Amino acid sequence: MLRKADSSFGFAIGAALVFFFIGGTLTTIVPPLVDKTWSKPFENNDPSKGPTGKLKPYTELELKGRNVYVREGCWYCHTQQTRTLLADTKRSGWKGVDSPISTPDEFVYDTPHMFGTKRTGPDLSRVGGKYDSQWHRTHFRNPRDLVPGSIMPPFPWIAENPEELRAITAYLQTLGRSKNWRPDNDYEK
Amino acid sequence: MPEEINKSVEARSSAASEPALVHDDTTAKWFLISSIAYFFIVGIIAVTIAAKFVWPSLLGTVQYLTYGRLRPLHVNGMLFGWLLAADMGLSFFMVPRLCAVKLWSEKLGIATAILWNAIILGAVVSLLMGWNQGLEYAELPLPLDIAVVVAWIMFGVNIFMTVASRKYDQMYVSIWYIMGTILWTAFVYLTGNFAVLFATGTNQANLNWMYVHNAVGLIFTPVGLAIAYYFIPKSSNTPLYSHKLSMIGFWSLAFVYVWTGAHHMLHGPISQWLQTISIAFSVMLLIPVWAVVYNFFATMKGQWHQLKDNVPLKFLMSGVVFYLLTCFQGPMHSLRTVNAIVSKTDWIPGHAHMAVLGAFSFFAIAGCYHMIPRVFKTTIFSEALANWSFWFLMFGGLGFFVTLWLGGFWQGWQWNNPSIPFIDTVIALKPVWIVRFFSGILMFLGIVSFGYNIMATILGAKDRPAAA
Repeated sequence: MLRKADSSFGFAIGAALVFFFIGGTLTTIVPPLVDKTWSKPFENNDPSKGPTGKLKPYTELELKGRNVYVREGCWYCHTQQTRTLLADTKRSGWKGVDSPISTPDEFVYDTPHMFGTKRTGPDLSRVGGKYDSQWHRTHFRNPRDLVPGSIMPPFPWIAENPEELRAITAYLQTLGRSKNWRPDNDYEK
Repeated sequence: MPEEINKSVEARSSAASEPALVHDDTTAKWFLISSIAYFFIVGIIAVTIAAKFVWPSLLGTVQYLTYGRLRPLHVNGMLFGWLLAADMGLSFFMVPRLCAVKLWSEKLGIATAILWNAIILGAVVSLLMGWNQGLEYAELPLPLDIAVVVAWIMFGVNIFMTVASRKYDQMYVSIWYIMGTILWTAFVYLTGNFAVLFATGTNQANLNWMYVHNAVGLIFTPVGLAIAYYFIPKSSNTPLYSHKLSMIGFWSLAFVYVWTGAHHMLHGPISQWLQTISIAFSVMLLIPVWAVVYNFFATMKGQWHQLKDNVPLKFLMSGVVFYLLTCFQGPMHSLRTVNAIVSKTDWIPGHAHMAVLGAFSFFAIAGCYHMIPRVFKTTIFSEALANWSFWFLMFGGLGFFVTLWLGGFWQGWQWNNPSIPFIDTVIALKPVWIVRFFSGILMFLGIVSFGYNIMATILGAKDRPAAA
């Protein structure tokens, strides 16, 4: 049958598109219709079903900080997903408490999404509440002052700009916080 | 497959049967010259960001030159400024010849080239300014996305009208691949740059990865293979081994590739069943790849001695080997167990560079070495320099790929042992990044010798007229 595509211009185009659209439709349009967690914000009040909490939309300040994160390309080196791997839950954990895995319903308000593909620096999916503002300021000014051996570039124009610093810190403190996963509730503000 | 059809297709792919038709080729020239210029310029950026891994404070006080801004410029510059533009230029060269007619509209072609250059310059400015949409491969702001769509339609119309007016009834493989590229790119690009804007979170990521994966799989793969299918028989003066096998390769590629996007989020916050589908189809990718590679190897049977002094053929056949390797890696690290080690590590850039540089850029470079002397009616400036450019890119490339695979695997093992602090896994990789930097320098020398050779060929064309 496909031999016809050899000499028929219209048939070649038609077949190429049909083949493409079968997979294209089933993998892009269908999945969000089937799996509702992709679009329903996380909310859980029952501790027996895992960590409790509620995903809140970003405030204006947090969104501003998020834009700085996007602008500076932080997402090229930092992922935001605690995967279904034991090591990931340990690394995203804090003070001996393992982190819960990331689920689609935690990211409903994220656009552009910041899942990332490359982990040159540590994953940030649960970084919210781990370090205080003073730490972030020093770290942005020169990461190697706090973490010797780090290869993160310095961002003095953020550290020296109170408005942007406040915004990006506010954004970073939201990361992973829709789930209340630390029993001592010892989150930094 | 009737024997006579097979023969006519093969005949057209061999050098002897070209009809005496004078092609203008202005569009092809414009595209190739500008793409080679971007190859050089973006090469400088590539080496700079490799250096930043070794000296993290390098250029660190200049906001416009941080890693987070130069990396998208490197990726977009290489993908769209160099490779896609070179592929378009080579398509403007191949299609009229395979159809035995002139290009439908040289004027439209030149306008496309001008628009394309304007897009690339716009991309440089916006990415350095940090006007980044925040989606991988889709970083460019909306006005530039729209310009890309317009340019793509102009390109598509020109190629389709040329094919529609062809003299031969039957279309050679390269024509299907180029037509496939034009059609699929249109939809893949619209998904990745426009549809994503209406989605959020996991849904958006799924569309984004569909685009990212298919930018390689349904844009650079089919047009790259179109080039290989045209230039391997041309350069070696040998007919293609099997037309039927090339059909199997093409139609299985058309069907299988688009399903695999979610393998970029294995173990991540996306439905397990979708991950499993993407894994199954990723493994099936071995079918189109092996069909294509077998066809090329079988074509070369009894002709391998030509590799000794045929530089375009060296690029083409090592590109085929890199294509085979990179497309073996792909299905393998789609498997959940392997993915748990290599995903998000430095293995990934090693894999990506082997596809885009090792396979598809090698094909495009071979095409340039073949086409430039012909369209300028001259001979290559220096065969020896061309050979040097091959070996620089070969050794630089191998150094880059191999150290990042080993380093990435090692890094993944360390990550999977949570008793090792993250920063120690960074420090452990420093020797790897030093080797990568020096491999990058070698690759850059390859680009410089390639670019210089092409420039000298064009500028000295009058002094070295082609033997008739």
